[in-house]
This record gives sequence, structure tokens and C-alpha cells, in this order.
Amino acid sequence: MARNHLYKILSRIVEIKPGEEVISLLLFSYYFLIMAPYYIIKPVRDAKYLIAEGSLNLPIAYLATAIFMGFFVGFYSRVRVRVPRHVLIISSLIFFIVTCFLAGFFFIQDVSWMPLAFWIWANVLVVVLSAQFWILVNVVFNPREAKRMIGFFTSGGILGGVFGGLLTGYLGGKIPDYLLFIATGLLFASIFVVNSIFIWQKKSKGIYAHPDQDEKGGRGKLSRVGFKDCFDTVRKNYYLVLLAAIVTLTFVVPTFIDWQSKVVIENKFQPDEYTTFFGYFHAGLLVVPFFISILMTSSIIKRFGIRLTLLLYPLILLLCSLGIAAVPGILFAVLIKGSDKCLSFSLNQSVRELLYIPISQEQKYKAKIFIDMFLNRFAKGIGAMVLFVFIFIPMNWQDRVKIVSVIAILFILAWIFLNLKVSKEYTNTIKDQLKMKWDRADRFVAETVDIDYTKLVFDLMESKDRSSVLYSLHLFDLIRQDKLTPELRKLISYKSDEVKASSLGVLLEADETTLMPETEDYIDDEVLQKEIKEIISLDVYQEIMRNYVDKLMVEESDDSEVGKMEVAKAIGLMDAQSPLVQKLEGLLQEESPEISKYAVESAARIGRRGYVPTIVHKLGNPLSRQDASAALEKFGQRIIGTLSDYLGDAEEDIEVRRELASVLARIGSQDAVDSLTLELEEEKEDLDLDIIDALDRIRCEHPDILFQKENIKTKVAREIKKYYQSLVRFIESIPEGTTKDPQQPQPKHLADLMTNIFKLLGLIYPHEDIFKAYQNLRTGTVDSMAYAVELLDNTLEKEMRDLILPIVEDISPDQKVRRIRNLLRVSPVFKKIHGKAKSL
Amino acid sequence: MVINTREKGDVVIFDIEGEIRRSDISDLTLHQLVKDQLDVGKRNILLNFQDVEFIDSFGVGEILASYISTHNLGGKLKIAKISKKLYLVFQVTMLTKVLEIFDQEENALDSFFKE
Repeated sequence: MARNHLYKILSRIVEIKPGEEVISLLLFSYYFLIMAPYYIIKPVRDAKYLIAEGSLNLPIAYLATAIFMGFFVGFYSRVRVRVPRHVLIISSLIFFIVTCFLAGFFFIQDVSWMPLAFWIWANVLVVVLSAQFWILVNVVFNPREAKRMIGFFTSGGILGGVFGGLLTGYLGGKIPDYLLFIATGLLFASIFVVNSIFIWQKKSKGIYAHPDQDEKGGRGKLSRVGFKDCFDTVRKNYYLVLLAAIVTLTFVVPTFIDWQSKVVIENKFQPDEYTTFFGYFHAGLLVVPFFISILMTSSIIKRFGIRLTLLLYPLILLLCSLGIAAVPGILFAVLIKGSDKCLSFSLNQSVRELLYIPISQEQKYKAKIFIDMFLNRFAKGIGAMVLFVFIFIPMNWQDRVKIVSVIAILFILAWIFLNLKVSKEYTNTIKDQLKMKWDRADRFVAETVDIDYTKLVFDLMESKDRSSVLYSLHLFDLIRQDKLTPELRKLISYKSDEVKASSLGVLLEADETTLMPETEDYIDDEVLQKEIKEIISLDVYQEIMRNYVDKLMVEESDDSEVGKMEVAKAIGLMDAQSPLVQKLEGLLQEESPEISKYAVESAARIGRRGYVPTIVHKLGNPLSRQDASAALEKFGQRIIGTLSDYLGDAEEDIEVRRELASVLARIGSQDAVDSLTLELEEEKEDLDLDIIDALDRIRCEHPDILFQKENIKTKVAREIKKYYQSLVRFIESIPEGTTKDPQQPQPKHLADLMTNIFKLLGLIYPHEDIFKAYQNLRTGTVDSMAYAVELLDNTLEKEMRDLILPIVEDISPDQKVRRIRNLLRVSPVFKKIHGKAKSL
Repeated sequence: MVINTREKGDVVIFDIEGEIRRSDISDLTLHQLVKDQLDVGKRNILLNFQDVEFIDSFGVGEILASYISTHNLGGKLKIAKISKKLYLVFQVTMLTKVLEIFDQEENALDSFFKE
């Protein structure tokens, strides 16, 4: 009951599914309770250092932190693999609680080395606790779940920062020496939250646990993780190298900004005002990112995608840097520091975490240790080294700020370039994570098996005991096509089935090259062909045969059926001008599927367009369909117009029209595509599945053929609309109280619509990418489904993405229905197709 | 030709008796029966050829059409207990490169379960 209530409240703020409310709130609180004390510690750190050392010595603090972090990460990664995750997190918290308390005590005693030591300690605290938090988020949620809730978690941290900052601002002037004891208390409270998270995780094991992550910190696969291993993981992966370079710049540039703002503030305020100023300043700066995080992060990422969101932060810093370079005063100092804070804690933090989505859990874990724990501090060290140069050049503070701004601008430009590169690589990395589970089998079969030859061999074998004439005709056909292979000669050379049966056991065990014993009776193929051709072309032969066929055509017996089969087959071996060919029309009209088979084969060989209508009608009979379809395919491109007429004829048998779509697919030309696309516009629901499948087959086999993008997009929108309406009806038909899961077995019409939607998308977007996504959504694991959604998110154009994601995203059925209803009402795409339908 | 259907786990087994020829089809074709199973969500199909002596070109077409329909939906179609004579013709025509053929039904079922 309480959970239900909690879900209702949280679902208004964040897109969560039932069952996620408790863990979401715990993680939100966890981040709050580590960031609140940090934002008490941070102003104390800044104030104590500026009072003791001055802003010119800030680079020393940055550099010392970077060097210390190098050693610390090596130590931490070794401890990390020896200690279970929950023990490590709680031990870290206890360590920081004790040391924070001691720091408060030392500051009261006014110990001289404390400002620098405290600076380094505060940086270690934020790096360790943040990294532990984000690794835990990655353990608990899969990438898509994390993407959904990342703004909410981030806002927990920001709210903690606001709370800590305001508290410091308020108490800074009253009890400055006791602030660290308050921070100690908040850190202590976080232990209970962390413990609750692990209890929750233990209870939910099997639902949320990822296979390569165990609660002992991944001691299985990751047992040998050290600093070098983490470094090598990044070094060997181009995507991670780009990510590392971006993170480096993400920390180098703010180091310049931090220094610039502190220089300006130092020249505007008195030392005893520092703690109070920084407290309010940090708190004030965090109010904006809090609202950005909780209200806008998810929608900005959804609306603009990762690529544009990544650019937002450096572009704004670029503008501010230009401003402070021009006017190095308090206005731009506050503006640039404010923009940096607002965006680094909201959008940038979220989008940076999202960049880890496409890599494996193992890579993610190692990369995070190297990048998030070491590299970001090391980057500050790089920034510090650049700043060092200006400490020793004699000039006034305004000029220093200006020159640092110019350098910052150069770094920001490099950062923008790398962001563009990484967003491209992001999609490629997701693609690599997804495996194509199956290909279209028709292509594989066509490439592997010569179907005409195969059927001829089976007909040959089958006719052996039925008609020696038919058998001979098949044999001659094989010779004529130069397909009487040595293996086949051996296979047919046995004189009796008994011999065949007794020998086969031995033969099957033999090597293929010596499959059959040698036969004595070889036929000279060329001579045979020449002789038969001569006989067939004789006038007297044609005359005799015509009389024979005339008599045969009026007979109705088993013998006459075999006779007609023989004649139908023989005609196919003659020239198109032979008088006997005229008899084929009559044979094509025969109802017997066996006669029909030979007649349509011969008709295809002779290739007269007049046969086409008769053959088309044979598509309606399941026993003649295969043969008729293969025959029409052989007519090829020149009958596409005729086939299109039949396809579009509503009076025609639906089975015939369905098979015609398949015939057009096998012909596979631009005209075939245009003809099929035209039919698609006609909204013939009973043919949609076949026409779309035919287009998909052509797309697979002939990737160079062009598809009419706008027409296909309109059709996709129509199919999506139908899917939406059916899905809403389906979800609402499930009685209250039962588990509604529309992803699992869907009714056939929903599954068919989904197939149609993806096949259509495959016509206008990269086919392989769309099908990787589709197949993994249908049959993948929870994680591969998440990657599939992510791939679609980054492949489809916005208007299409907005329509597809509600179908495929792992959200609750209620949310799905809400989003679908909203889209049906407001989507411009649906309005457009409605308008088109009206104009028609 | 008579076709009986049974299921083992998530595998639908078609026990085929007689010869798969044009002339022996009276009601539904093999391909239609397979499509009916695919329509109800089945994806693993096993054709038991224990009682099939021979097939004609129509039978080959039916098997290949069933194979294509099943695999295009991400399913598997396999054959078990094929006669040695038929297997030899399958070899000569390269059908063995496409179709997975097992000597025993149990082996075929195991291969489905392993996947």
C-alpha cells in the first residue's frame, strides 16, 4: 500500500516502473547524503586554502591532488578486488567519517599543513564516493533504466549540494569551526542508506543482478584488476580513448574557470567573507542544476539525443570564455562559474554516465576506475601546470584572467571536436554490442542451393519407376544444362533399388570424391544432344508427335496423364518456333498439378507472354503455386506491369495476389519495388504483410535499389498508428490485478504489425542496424534489448524515434498507454497522414 | 501422405508418413502446416522422416519453403531419421548444406535444446 503510494508520487517526477520506487529513492538519498557533506567540506576547503596560501598558489593544490590521486587509484584498485563491494563502500564511508572528524579537530588547533592536506583529502572524498555511487547505479540498473532515472539520481546529489551549501552559508559566519562535524554526521547517516540498498539488492537478486557483476565487487572475472589493467582497457579501445580525452578536457577547462573565478573573487571580497560567500555561492549555483536535472535532463537528452546534448556544455562555456576574455570582471566570473557548475552537475554528469552505456560491464568498471578516479584529477593537474606558467609571468590579475580565457577557448574547441567524434563512435559501439541473430533464409538458400537443379534431380529420381520417357527427358535436360555431374551419374547408374539400398550405407561413409563406384556406360553428351536436337527438328517427327498429342489430349486415364506430362516436358526442350509448342496452351489448362508442373516449366522456357495469365491463376492452387511462381520469376522484368495489374486487382484471388508479391520480390528490380510501393499506398491490409516482406527481401538482396522514402515513412506511421490502437486495446483488455506485460507473448496481429514496422524502417534506414535492433528486441536478453533501444534512439530521425520508442522502451504498460494516447492526439506525423488520407 | 503433429518441449514434431508428392496431397500442404505452427508462436520445427520413402520436386519445394518461413522468423527447422537413399540425393543436390539432418530424433531434439 505504502509502496503503491510512493510509486504514485515518484512516477509524477521520474519515469519509473512499479518495483523501482524503493531503490530509486534509496539511491537518490545516498547521493544526497554524500554530496551534502561535500558541499560543506568544499567551501571550508576553498576558504582555508585561499586564506593560508592565496589564489596564486591554487595550481600547487591542483597538481598535488593529481599526483596523490595517481598513487591512490593504484592502491584503491588493489583493495577493490580484495574486498566485497558493500564492505568497501561502508569502510570508505567510515574512513571519511573518522578523518573528517579529525580534520575539524586539527583546524580548531590551527595546524599549519592542514589547508593543503585537507584540499587533497576533500578531492579524494568526492572522487571515491562519487565513483562508488555511479558504479552501484550501473550494477543495479541496466543502461536504459539508468538513462531513464539518471536525472533523478543526479538531482539527489545536487539537492544535497544545495542543502550543504546553504547550511555552510548560514553557519559559516557563526560556527565555522564546527561545520566539519556536521558533515561527519551526514556521512554517518549515509551508511544506513547504503546498507538498505544492499539489503534491497540481496532480496531482488535475479531480477536486477547482472551476470558479470557479483556483490563481492566482481571478484570472478575482475580478480586481476589493477591500475595497469584499467589503463590498458582504456588504451586498447578507441571509444574509451576518446571518452578519456573528453573527460580530461571536461576537467582541464573547469580548472581554468575555477581559477579565474577565484582570482576575481579574491580581489572583490575580504578573507573573512570567503566561507560564507562560497557557501551561498555554491548553494545558489546548485539550485539551477537541481531543476535542470530533475525537470529537464531526461527531456533534453530525449529531445536532442546524446550528440547535441554533449555539445551544449562546451558551447555555453565557449561563449562565457569569450565574455570573460573581453571583460574580466565579477559579472562574467560569476556567469562562467555559474554555467560551469549548473551544467557540469546536471547535463554533463548525466550525459557522461550515458557514454558508458555501450561498453561491457567489465570494461565499464575498469574504465571508470581509470577515468573517473584518476584521469579527472590528473586532468586538473594538467590544468594546474598550464596555470603555473602564468603565476611566474609578472602581469596584473585582469591580464592573467584574459590569457587563461584564450587558452580555455582553445581547449574548448578541441573538446567540441572530440564530442562530435565520440557521439559517432557511441553508435558504432552500440552496434558492435548487438549480434545479428538470423539472416533472411531465402537469400541463404538461393546462394547455397541450385533449386532448379535440385528439383530436376528429384524429378529424375522420382520418374525412374514411373516413365522411362520422362526419365530420359529429365536426363537429357540435365545434359543440356551441363548439370549431369559425376556424382549424379553414379547415383543414377545403379540398376536396382536393392543394390542401391545395400550399397548406400557404405557410400555414405565414403569420402565425397569417391561417393559411387565407377559406371561402365558413359554417354557422350555432345553427340547425344546433337542427335536429339536433329530428331526433334525433323518435320516428320513434329507431324507424328502432333497426331499423338491430339489423341492424347482427349483421353482421360492414368496413362494419358503420364503421356501429357511427357509431352509437356518435351515441349520445354524444343525451340519456341516448333509446331508442337502450340499444344502447350492446352496442356497449361490441364487441372492435374503434375501435368501443370511440366507445362508451366516449359512455358517459362519458351517465354511467350500469352502464357502469363494462365500461369498467374495457377498461383491460387497450393499444388501448382511453387511451379507457377518459379515460372513467372523466369519471365522476369518484362512482365512486371502485368503482374502489378493482377496484384492491384481487388477482384483477383487473394492467394494469387499474395504469391505475386513474392514473385516480384524474386524478380527484385527497381520496377518491382516501385510497383510494390504503389500497392503499399493503397492501404490493402490483407496484403500488407506479403508486400512488406517482399520489399524487405529485395532490400536484403539488392541493397542498391532505391526506395521512396516519403511513401515508406507514411506507411510506417500508419502501421505504428494501427499498432498503437491495437496495443492500447490489448493492454486494457487485461483484467485489473494481473501482470500487464505487453512485451511478452503478444497477439499475432500485434507481432505482425511490429514486424511490418521494422521491415519498413529497414527500407529507409541501415537495414542491418534496424534488424539487429528488431531481433534483439524480440529475442534478446534484458541488456541486449536495452542496447537495441539505444541503437534505435541513435539511428532514427527524431519524428520516427518519437513514435517508435514508446513501443520498444521498457516502461510500465500504464505509462505506455499514456504516452501512446498522447502521441495519437498530438503527433504531427499522425496529423500529416490524416491530412493525406482526407485529400485522397 | 499423412502428417501427425506432436510436441516435445518447445519443439513441434511433424511425423510424416508416405511420400511427399504433388499427387499425394489431399488437404493441407506441409508448408501450410508449418506456417500454422509459426502463426501460433512456435519456432522450433522438426520433420520426422522415419516413414518417408521418397519425395518429389514438390516435396523439396515444400521443405525449403517451410525452412525459409521458419528461419525468417528466427526459428529453426530440422529433419530427423531420413532414409539413406534420400540423404544421398540431398547430398548430391547440396541440400545438406542448408538443412540440418539428424539420424535420431533425440539428437535433433538435443540440438534444439542446446540452442
